[in-house]
Amino acid sequence: MKNAGILMILGSAMLVGLFFFPMWNIRLGAPQYPEPLGIDIHVNGLRGESEFDIQNIDGLNHYIGMKTLPKPEDMWEFSVFPKVVAAMALIGIVIGLLGVFQKISPIWFLVWFVLMSILGALGIYDFNLWLVSYGTDLDPNAILKLVNPDGTPMQYNPPLIGHKKLLNFDAFSYPRAGGIMLGVGMLLTLAAYYFGQKSRFTIK
Amino acid sequence: MKTKIFIINTLFLCSLAMLMSCGQSGDSGSSGALGSSIAEKVYVAPGERDEQYAFLSGGYSGNLTVYGLPSGRLFKEIPVFSQFPTSGYGYSEETKPMLNTSFGFIPWDDLHHPDISQTNGELDGRWIFANGNNTPRIARISLTTFETEEIIEVPNSAGNHSSSFITENTEYVVAGTRFSVPVPQKDMPIKDYKANFKGALTFITVDQQHGHMDIKFQLMMPGFNYDLSHPGRGKSHGWFFFSTYNTEEANTLLEVNASQNDKDFIAAVNWKKIEQYVNNGGGTKMAAKYAHNVYDESTHMATSTIKEEVLTVNPADVPGAIYFLPTPKSPHGCDVDPNGEYIIGAGKLSANITVHSFDKMLSAIEGQKFDGDAYGIPILNYDDVLAGSVQSGGLGPLHTEFDGRGNAYTTFFISSEVVKWKLGTWEVVDRKPTYYSVGHLMIPGGNSRKPHGKYLVAMNKITKDRYLPTGPEMEHSAQIYDISGEKMELLYDFPTHGEPHYAAGCNAELLVNNSKKIYRLDENKHPYGITRPSEARVERKGKEVHIYMSTIRSHFTPDNIEGVKVGDKVYFHITNHEQDFDVPHGFSMIGQATSEILIMPGQTKTSLWEPKRVGVWPFYCTDFCSALHQEMQGYVRVSPANSNIELSWSLDE
Amino acid sequence: MKVTILNPLVLLVLPALIWSCTSPREAETTSGSSAISESHPMGQASVVDNVSDANILQVAVSSEPHSTLVAAVQAAQIEHILVNAGPLTVFAPVNGAFDALPEGTVENLLKPENKSDLATILTRHAAPGSYDIEALQREAKKGRKLYMATGDYLEVVVEGDKVTVGGATIVATVPASNGIIHVIEKVILP
Repeated sequence: MKNAGILMILGSAMLVGLFFFPMWNIRLGAPQYPEPLGIDIHVNGLRGESEFDIQNIDGLNHYIGMKTLPKPEDMWEFSVFPKVVAAMALIGIVIGLLGVFQKISPIWFLVWFVLMSILGALGIYDFNLWLVSYGTDLDPNAILKLVNPDGTPMQYNPPLIGHKKLLNFDAFSYPRAGGIMLGVGMLLTLAAYYFGQKSRFTIK
Repeated sequence: MKTKIFIINTLFLCSLAMLMSCGQSGDSGSSGALGSSIAEKVYVAPGERDEQYAFLSGGYSGNLTVYGLPSGRLFKEIPVFSQFPTSGYGYSEETKPMLNTSFGFIPWDDLHHPDISQTNGELDGRWIFANGNNTPRIARISLTTFETEEIIEVPNSAGNHSSSFITENTEYVVAGTRFSVPVPQKDMPIKDYKANFKGALTFITVDQQHGHMDIKFQLMMPGFNYDLSHPGRGKSHGWFFFSTYNTEEANTLLEVNASQNDKDFIAAVNWKKIEQYVNNGGGTKMAAKYAHNVYDESTHMATSTIKEEVLTVNPADVPGAIYFLPTPKSPHGCDVDPNGEYIIGAGKLSANITVHSFDKMLSAIEGQKFDGDAYGIPILNYDDVLAGSVQSGGLGPLHTEFDGRGNAYTTFFISSEVVKWKLGTWEVVDRKPTYYSVGHLMIPGGNSRKPHGKYLVAMNKITKDRYLPTGPEMEHSAQIYDISGEKMELLYDFPTHGEPHYAAGCNAELLVNNSKKIYRLDENKHPYGITRPSEARVERKGKEVHIYMSTIRSHFTPDNIEGVKVGDKVYFHITNHEQDFDVPHGFSMIGQATSEILIMPGQTKTSLWEPKRVGVWPFYCTDFCSALHQEMQGYVRVSPANSNIELSWSLDE
Repeated sequence: MKVTILNPLVLLVLPALIWSCTSPREAETTSGSSAISESHPMGQASVVDNVSDANILQVAVSSEPHSTLVAAVQAAQIEHILVNAGPLTVFAPVNGAFDALPEGTVENLLKPENKSDLATILTRHAAPGSYDIEALQREAKKGRKLYMATGDYLEVVVEGDKVTVGGATIVATVPASNGIIHVIEKVILP
């Protein structure tokens, strides 16, 4: 149980990585951009991979009537998410400590994991909503108005994960260090629950 | 059993070997295969990049061209001494001061000898220097922006030819005069040239941080023609060597009268000794007007200052600092080998190449073995300083460079060839024809302690039938040779722009990572620059109208301007707000008596327009910047001089 | 067992394979670079140009009394020097001048192994610079010698209308686009 508690502490502490590393990254490459333009999505805002990438993506997007990329103050998520992440990390560490000192049942590790999974799923759902709205809610006076072969307006939302071709751009969307640490951390808490349960039964 | 396997295997392998070798010989049997093996050496596939940079002087184009080796592809023409409508250099208000001189604005010069800055005798890729031959000037070009950053005029000089060579830590850039002149200039009979004219050798310090140039001293030499020069390196660091001709001091029909002396001189100048003399208060200040023009990357503007005084040094006042080395037949090239021991004089009317030894020179000086003097400057004995002479079999040697493997390569103008020979044994190893009549050659780093000796570029003076004909006037031809083997191999032939007199080159990795992509808008300190479109405005100061304008794909802010009157001087101060690599915007106005300007991302440039007629006049972006480039335009309404229409400006209102 | 036999075999055959691959390629390379020079075997002298004024080589080629000189220039392979921008002053001995040399001299010099000796002898007949008769007379008056492309100095002597250089009398002068030809009736030897 002691080891399981340490695992729980480690796992939830890895959430803190979100404050130091980007969670997700979207990259746009094209023949005229041999060095692709990239957006790093941090828990508290968007940052260009290179200094002027955000400005240059906005410059390109104005042709198709996309809104400019949101500043931290433009989206409630960027102020709420950091608080949620910090709170979950803290709670996880406390549960882990209690586990180390055998004060609580490992079931709490599972509770934390399930709660975090729900929050994560909500976060991804919200992220996807934003991607869709960003890629489809276009200025009716856009310079370029492109339609699909079936006559519907073309949509430019990048993929949630993986690769997608947008006109002459290749869009890539993948997790980055922060997101990976989140995933690994959550798996550790799940493992903590498993080992915690196991040790309980073996001791008995 | 064992034997059987052995035989079968042998048979199998032998037949395989035959098959393969047959295929090989069959393949190379066709004439195309061989051509392709040479072609592969210069072929740089699409998307691939060249191994080396070559900076070729443009001669009478006044500019410097940048090529890739081994492909021979032209990357850029850098404007230096000539107005350049392609970018607006010398036309924009910011760059006009770059071409200012004590004679006023001069739109042109004859750029001769580029030389890359060095540290410890090795190329360091900070700057490249170049000389203007006609109205004596030295320019410094940044190798991060590939733009001219500074030009200093050289007073008391004329035909600034033995320039702009640098010492091995870029302490000095040196400029010697080809034409001697009265110093100071005065009204006097030309026939009194002899003993009265002076040849100024100018030592210009280079600030190690910013590269800023300042004339430290001018050595007032006898009135010979100082043709080319090179620094000592390694053990001969601290010395500078100048070839001379017309030691006859003729002032007319030099082709005959300056070819009389059997030997002219290479002047060896111990600049460290003179520097010490000057630092201790030596030398004479004299009045001399010259311009010093500096371009500031943060303000994107050049300023020109006229200086009034220069420090001169009379050789007689610094005994032991200058010696003459007799060198046959009007030497042109004066080149120092990578170890600093050999000083090579190419007597341009001679068949042979003369090589002096630095060590022998020092011991001759120590032994005080002189063969008379010229105007008080000791002449050393030819035989005492001679290391050897290359019996080349060619005619008209001009210029020598080195590969760092103990070989030297000399061009021969009259016999139109490059001759490879060995330092120390003086034996000729190889010779290859050039097409035609080669002037100078260049091995990247060939004028340093560490040549990057893989390719050699021969720059020819005569083209004739090398390319598809283009009328009487043609670009000059150049050839690239592979010099990595014992024998030189001709790889490629390409035309060059202007008249390349000399060149410098280096490995690509020295520069590629330092090359700038954009200027930062947040570092733009141009007094008329704007960092946000909301600051765009139009202001009137009497007859002057200043338009603070910005550009971003794909519009000008503002693009409708009214209230301008006939007789106004309208300044368009345009800041390119792009911060994206290779997205310049251009600007030009109908009926404008100047060139366009091309504005790099983050940069501000100013274009002057003096409207002469009433009307509504369009301007547009001259660089195909984006998919909506054709929409990137605007109008200025010009009203009569006595109109009372107020200034107004707008974008999308 | 098979494997142990195979290994030395491979070692034996490999060099043969490599040799058979490289040797023809090397042969090719040499023939290839000569292919490049073959296109302009005489350098600038290969340029086809019927419009410009005739250069020194073209003048000599078109002059019947200079056929021996032209043959010598071709044997020495220095044609390209005579078409160069110059300017050059060439003292061109007529056929009779070569005939006057000791028996067998010319034949001997025309042999390929004597190419460089021949080139030196011919080069001694060329001076860098453009010296017409007046210029030569001026040189003589100033007491100057004429510097030849080999590095030798030749004495210029004026007697009345007669001008001799290195002992050879000038009998005619022909201007060329890249210099001047003075016809002489004697080969100038050191």
